[in-house]
Amino acid sequence: MTVVAQVLVFAGVAVVVVSALAMLRARTLLTRLHLLAPVTTLGAPLVGIGLAVANGWSLGSGAILLTVVLLAVTGPVLQSAAGRVEAQRRGAIDEDLPS
Amino acid sequence: MTGWLVAAVLLMAGGLGPALWLAARGDAVGRLAGLQLAGPVTVLTLLLLVQAYGPSSAVILPLTLTVLAFAGTLLFIRLLGTTE
Repeated sequence: MTVVAQVLVFAGVAVVVVSALAMLRARTLLTRLHLLAPVTTLGAPLVGIGLAVANGWSLGSGAILLTVVLLAVTGPVLQSAAGRVEAQRRGAIDEDLPS
Repeated sequence: MTGWLVAAVLLMAGGLGPALWLAARGDAVGRLAGLQLAGPVTVLTLLLLVQAYGPSSAVILPLTLTVLAFAGTLLFIRLLGTTE
């Protein structure tokens, strides 16, 4: 494990852990979803890049990077979908709008 | 214990623990936050465990879980959106 990889991985882990603990303190779903965003868009790429740096150029590194890219792309989709359901439940948006 | 294992244990304690807590409390829509946190944390933990123990080909497991967790969570959201 190189120093650079170690720093990247532990920075990503710190982002995930701090976000998860902050979600425990949040009271509403929308706030929790807001705090969830850094996990997939910042923490996961940091861990993935750190692992790729440690492994060097290989097929395994490509799979790791593909995994974290998928996380970064699908995370906001899920969060916006859940936020929409919560907004509909609160009556903040029209339920008849196409989803 | 290598650095990879330390990172994996930190993720399991500091990430999966809160995810399970959030997924076990509140109403059905409120639990979605815990479910959505559990997916990425599990994927990252598996990546670190594969790095520590497994052959590099085992990285297909977190890659598959990423796709399945996305589809499963989206299905939960869709069903809750029609029943709430």
